[in-house]
Amino acid sequence: METYLSTEFARSGPLLLDEARAKGRWKVAQKVFESMTPEQVVDEVKNAGLRGRGGAWFPTGIKWSFMPKEPLKGPSYLVINADEGEPGTFKDRQIMEKDPHLLLEGIAIGSFAIRAETAFLYIRGEYKAAHDALALAIAECERAGILGDAAMGTKKKMRIVLHRGAGAYICGEETALLNSLEGRRGEPRPKPPFPAVWGAFGRPTSVNNVETLANVPAIVERGAAWFKARGTAQAPGNLLFGISGAVEKPGCYELPLGTTARELVEKHAGGVKGGGKMRAFIPGGASTGFLPPDKLDVAMDPESLRKEGTMLGTGGIIVIPEEISVVDAARVFSRFFRHETCGQCSPCREGAAWSDQVIARFQRGEGLASDFALLEDIMRGSKQRTICVFPEAFAGPLGSAIKHFRGEFKHA
Amino acid sequence: MPELTIDGRKVEVAPGTNVIEAARKLAIDVPYYCYHPALTPVGSCRMCQVEILDPGKPPRVTIACRTEATNGLNVSTTGKDCVAARAATLEFLLANHPLDCPICDKAGECDLQNFTYKHGNGAGRFSEPKREKLKHELIGDHILLDQERCILCTRCVRFMGEYAKSASLVVAGRGDRNVIAIFPGEPIRSNYEGNLADICPVGALTLKEFRFKSRVWDLDSEESVCTGCDRGCSVLLDTKRNKLLRVRPRVNLQVNGHFMCDQGRFGLLDAMNPVAREELGWVKGARVAAEQAAHALATTLAAERGKWLVLLSARMTGEELLLAKAALGPLAKQLAYVPTPAVGGDEQLFTGRRAPNEKALSLLGIAALDEAAAAKALAEPATAGLLAFDAALAARLVAGAKGKRLALVDVARDFDPAQGKAPCGAELFVPGTLASEKDGTFINVGAIAQRARRAQRWPQGTVPEHALLLQIAAAGGVSVAALTLKPDLTFALLEELGQPGAMLGQLPDDGLKLAAPAAVATA
Repeated sequence: METYLSTEFARSGPLLLDEARAKGRWKVAQKVFESMTPEQVVDEVKNAGLRGRGGAWFPTGIKWSFMPKEPLKGPSYLVINADEGEPGTFKDRQIMEKDPHLLLEGIAIGSFAIRAETAFLYIRGEYKAAHDALALAIAECERAGILGDAAMGTKKKMRIVLHRGAGAYICGEETALLNSLEGRRGEPRPKPPFPAVWGAFGRPTSVNNVETLANVPAIVERGAAWFKARGTAQAPGNLLFGISGAVEKPGCYELPLGTTARELVEKHAGGVKGGGKMRAFIPGGASTGFLPPDKLDVAMDPESLRKEGTMLGTGGIIVIPEEISVVDAARVFSRFFRHETCGQCSPCREGAAWSDQVIARFQRGEGLASDFALLEDIMRGSKQRTICVFPEAFAGPLGSAIKHFRGEFKHA
Repeated sequence: MPELTIDGRKVEVAPGTNVIEAARKLAIDVPYYCYHPALTPVGSCRMCQVEILDPGKPPRVTIACRTEATNGLNVSTTGKDCVAARAATLEFLLANHPLDCPICDKAGECDLQNFTYKHGNGAGRFSEPKREKLKHELIGDHILLDQERCILCTRCVRFMGEYAKSASLVVAGRGDRNVIAIFPGEPIRSNYEGNLADICPVGALTLKEFRFKSRVWDLDSEESVCTGCDRGCSVLLDTKRNKLLRVRPRVNLQVNGHFMCDQGRFGLLDAMNPVAREELGWVKGARVAAEQAAHALATTLAAERGKWLVLLSARMTGEELLLAKAALGPLAKQLAYVPTPAVGGDEQLFTGRRAPNEKALSLLGIAALDEAAAAKALAEPATAGLLAFDAALAARLVAGAKGKRLALVDVARDFDPAQGKAPCGAELFVPGTLASEKDGTFINVGAIAQRARRAQRWPQGTVPEHALLLQIAAAGGVSVAALTLKPDLTFALLEELGQPGAMLGQLPDDGLKLAAPAAVATA
């Protein structure tokens, strides 16, 4: 299987600039800066059908085309969302720790496409190794003249600012991230205005995920047709699938979108640990919720998973073994989401806490028959009723647990 | 001008208006907590959810506060989805609320109570242990914080940052551990702190000064004007059994917007509740009935026509000043007032000039004398004495004027009759009334005339200033019929100021902006 994102993942430390250049890094960015127009880059990415790997799967080229074409009075910004906090997700981390120049090259090309001279790389505070690898790579590039006032020997400016978060899940929501970047409390902003109009520091901004940008050099180099030859028609390309939980070989696997969950778990991750049975699996990070093992043949792409009532999310699969009850697993997530809601919107703040309290009661064997209706009402009262989609996130594991595994919720 | 439809009724609004304000124009109540007309809308409480109706699409539930009223917009405030969403929001907000309404100062004027009655479900389903947070913590000079009652609308945080320009409140913590807090060891220091109790939609921020003083439904409220400075903020005076318990700003976009300062709010509370007030009059060292002192003053001025320096006060109502000018002008040696300098004003409302009706004095053409000139006028051999309507000023002037007699009409506070002499040692003392004890007009620094309604009764036996002035006119043979024959003295005052036509009750709630001041003969 051809890979283009994970070629360096087997390394123990980051790929440094000299070796990275020898492997072709920065070649595409050089060509883009010297001989392409922003429109050409945007068109190529649009034609390739690249969609955002942060979990929302919004077409990247279209997002870029919302950015102002004519230079406005003041800068536009590219902001890189490296606040990878979704439980079960560790793909961006691999790229940043092992192949930072792949990301930086994608950032340079993406910035070029949206006419930004400054990119803010917002990295999860816990990612110390990734931060250090990126800081080193940025310093290397600045010394080599790749970044700076005459980037890659052209007349264009390119600057990448690395910013560490402080450990809040919500700061992975793009507007909360922008607030945090600006030094404000990390709370999502009401939309509209969207970041393309009012983003970082009030300027037009495109917020893109790490893996998304890491796809860009290959797309620009090899073309849309090459990219579309892998993955599904609606979601082309490879994806870094993270597999964790009770499997023999947990890890990050680069495979085409549309690969089945069964192939990922059984073939690549070596099946359930110790040959045991699977009770449930989570397809794409905590917020996508639980699926029963009989859904393992679902294709891992946004459309197929939507048909199952869930989402591809970040593609981070978590396998839950027979010995762990879904009630206990659901509690792990309800506690997480209760801890991580920013709390500005009443339904989310109270709903995340209340549902956690109810699940905790089930865990203690104190659940009531009326609690199912209550949990449904908590989800109904909060989903689509808040500034961001956090209630959808906590309702993922909650709703799927009482939908697919109701029998495990013993009640009086 | 965009025209939209709300609950089937059409309304035209100014561009940029949100759906809450558009609905208000139709007298349709959209409930809200975090929204406040004077603050940036954040859209987080989720109480103002309404439905947007687009042909061919299912109703879309969204928040009214951040939905601009655009042309052709069709809004429903009664659709079942938004009604359910509002009820759900209330159930969430009440889940951890202590429900201590019986001991909460806010009960009766609490939006959590009121909206629950109107939009909530009858019963709650929350049976978990409630969160415990900080209670009744003094976070400034006046405000007590109860984090358990708080619904985290953040109006207070935005008010301190956006309006008071003193970002001393924050949301600390995250999720259901969120609390409103001050920075450690840094209590609120602001001249606008008191407003927090007004803008808090629940009982989380309450006034130390009003704590456990009264149930709000036992209060009588009168519309009045703050006399703390010549901004003249519109206020409500809340009294119970003739005692002023609370002062609140009244919305007046012409004058003070939605707020008032602490100098005014708490200054008024003190000023209108004088301690050890002298309710009797004094005549030459004898403590007598107020009526007797009034009679003595009237006869003295009549007998010694043209010998007394009369200094009016900017704390008198416009009507009193008008009558004083007519009655005392012909009897006085000189009729004047001493302008008050501005001290310690701020950028928002407080002007620092503690002379609420100084504009009326100047518009009426009363002569202005600075304090040195007043002292000089008093020192003239031909001046027998000073009739003053301001005890503080009188005390200062008399201290430097040997052998001059003093007649004083004012409220004397902290008075001890056992000392055996009248306030300021006056030969004649007539107890005056408080601004809250009478109806009258105040004209603020921007020439806006506002009515102040009587909120308290004066002490029994008091001769209020207008009666005293009529008595003086009668004794001195001065006819004031030209004024007293008008529909009322307010009418006469406005006529004098070039804007005839309104009696006191007809002044608009937000005041009457006086046109270019008419030329008025100098007294």
